[in-house]
Amino acid sequence: MDFETELKLQAYLDGELPETEAREIAKFLAQDQEAALLLGELKNTRQALKGSEIVVQLPESREFYWSKIEREIERLEKPQRVEQKRPFIFRLQRILVPVTGALAVAVFLGITLFGNSGTALGETELATEDMGAITFRSESEGMTTVWLYDRGDSELSDEPAPDSVEPR
Amino acid sequence: MSDRDHSSAVDQDLVRGAQKGDMGAFEELVARHRDKIYARALSMMRNEEEAIDLSQEAWVKGWQRLAQFQGEASFGTWMTRIVINLCLDQLRKHKRQRTESIEAMDQDSGGVERQMPVITVNPTAGLERTELRQRIDQALAKLSYEQRTVLVLHEFEEMEYKEIAKSMDCSIGTVMSRLFYARRKMAAILADLRKGEEQ
Repeated sequence: MDFETELKLQAYLDGELPETEAREIAKFLAQDQEAALLLGELKNTRQALKGSEIVVQLPESREFYWSKIEREIERLEKPQRVEQKRPFIFRLQRILVPVTGALAVAVFLGITLFGNSGTALGETELATEDMGAITFRSESEGMTTVWLYDRGDSELSDEPAPDSVEPR
Repeated sequence: MSDRDHSSAVDQDLVRGAQKGDMGAFEELVARHRDKIYARALSMMRNEEEAIDLSQEAWVKGWQRLAQFQGEASFGTWMTRIVINLCLDQLRKHKRQRTESIEAMDQDSGGVERQMPVITVNPTAGLERTELRQRIDQALAKLSYEQRTVLVLHEFEEMEYKEIAKSMDCSIGTVMSRLFYARRKMAAILADLRKGEEQ
């Protein structure tokens, strides 16, 4: 008997053969003793297995077994909770960053324009004594340029730097 | 739902509760089906510790996928499918490790099983239920994991060839040949056990 026929015998036993093929196998079985014996062995094994799975009980208490499952579920769900909050923070950041930038530009422009409107450039205050400023205003261009420089380290300074050497 | 309600509720109600996030309902489902899920893992893995770990992993997966449970099969059957898939993944990992160390050994050749003489006398005839179960368990332990898995899925889970092929990620032809070799080998092992007992 070839292997294909052996597999067909098994499929016949398991009810997995189409009707026409099942009829052919039934005829073949009636004529072939070897096939009938093999089918008998397969049938015995199948019957022995049916409902004969060994009964086992989990060797852990209900509480202990569940506690491990619960911990794992909680562990896996925590990052999700953080992720659920994240988009709001990201959204807020997306709004705050450009708004803060725009505000900074607006404040800078406000100060600059305020300085332009007045003629008293002396009103401009510097936060530190070490810093110097030179302002150039072109009325024709409608433009004001302000240079900020370090008094101690600049060629623009009219005062000698502390570490500079006086020419003789 | 209180603890008392959980213990008296039917599975469908507990599943609905768990789907809404009721952990107490899910705990009750675990308590009801944990032995069955563990037994399936043990029958496939043949290792107590691995079976416990995989059964717990299955419950965690079950919780995560609860929304997908539509109730077409029973909750126990649905959970069993999850643990079977986890076991199959784990067995594939084991097999990869084995073949990496011993080169590729094809356990599916089945040449030996085909040459074995047909067992004409039923080797389990007259055995009591408990004894029969122990014999079957002993015999299953002697099969290769592919043969054992296909037998477990076909005989214990009553899955069709097509379903087994899908679960095991192989062709129906492979399922048929593995099942054939597994049955033939089982018959021989059961006959040997019978002979050993008679001597």
